[in-house]
Amino acid sequence: MALPPSLRTSITPLELELVASEQLVEIVPLVSMERTAFISGAYGPLRPPTKCKVPLWMASNLKLKKKCHMVPPAWLNVDFLQERLLRETTDPGFSEMPFRFAEVAKILLDVAPDDLQNPDRIRMLLKDIREARQAKSREGLSKLDHNELMLPNLCAMEINEIRPFFVRGMNVLTHLTREPVPVDAMDQM
Amino acid sequence: MEDDYFSIESILAENQKIQCTFKIDVPDMGHLDGGKAGDIKALSKVQIPLWMAYILIFSDYADFTIPPPFSARVRNALNAEPRSVRLSALVGQGGLWYGFGRMIMRLLNDVPAEELSGVLTKTFRARLPDVIDQAQHFASLHATSGPSAGDAGAAAFREGMDGTERELFQLAQDSARRTKAWYETSERGKR
Repeated sequence: MALPPSLRTSITPLELELVASEQLVEIVPLVSMERTAFISGAYGPLRPPTKCKVPLWMASNLKLKKKCHMVPPAWLNVDFLQERLLRETTDPGFSEMPFRFAEVAKILLDVAPDDLQNPDRIRMLLKDIREARQAKSREGLSKLDHNELMLPNLCAMEINEIRPFFVRGMNVLTHLTREPVPVDAMDQM
Repeated sequence: MEDDYFSIESILAENQKIQCTFKIDVPDMGHLDGGKAGDIKALSKVQIPLWMAYILIFSDYADFTIPPPFSARVRNALNAEPRSVRLSALVGQGGLWYGFGRMIMRLLNDVPAEELSGVLTKTFRARLPDVIDQAQHFASLHATSGPSAGDAGAAAFREGMDGTERELFQLAQDSARRTKAWYETSERGKR
């Protein structure tokens, strides 16, 4: 294969971010624009005081040109994240989060911290949540098995991070587990 | 670890000698036992590379003894604390303890093979979290400063990792480093 080894095992976080950028978010436009066709679909029309749903890539683009305010998704605020962090630290399982929350949160914190309430606190909470979840996936490692692995509610970025060595580890375990000897091979022995 | 004909790892894992006891006389093969010409007598003990041992054992020309990396002493040590056994010391630097174990496992039949498989999987599973922990620890170190010594136990564990574990270490380290880099960079200027 022509790909470098680091790209063969999993896709990069940047690619995941690109995928997440297709998600729709709400914005409050500051400029008006007619309904416009893009490759991924038609978005608009933008009428300044009314909210509008556009893909994240377009929202961040407009935001950087100061042509809109972003409306943060319902889960990106201190109260919600605080509650999730509490659940994350008390419950043994992973708590439910939007599948691409890490990517979306990063883009919003990156591009539109002024549209969020208390972005620093949000950043801290996200970091804590991430660490709590990482500790859990580490625990899952000791239960690794050659047949199957169940980590419900794991998110895109986390799956991507653990994929290379989980897959390899399971592969090794498959080889170390004794496969049942086929019947005709038994006869020959 | 794979059985692929072209797998270098599989060839390296076979590059170990095991002790065989011949059951019959083999004429003119004395050179296998280090330079002596002449015949191999029945019941003589010869160190034979693993790749050659297969055919001898399966054709019932020889018996083999479990090699030292999987002896009862090592198994007891693994039972007591898998993480403090230096696997790399057992099979040589960069050796493949798991790969070697797997080859031995296939030479054995039912019960002993089952036992060995149990030892291998148990050891692997017990050591895996430490391998990954250290990989992630190192991934976060390199980004900020140079590698610090860490505590002695961790360093000893790292040295004791066998080839397969080293590969996993590398994978985990790369992945953790990539993800960390993504979390820390801001793309804002580029947009």
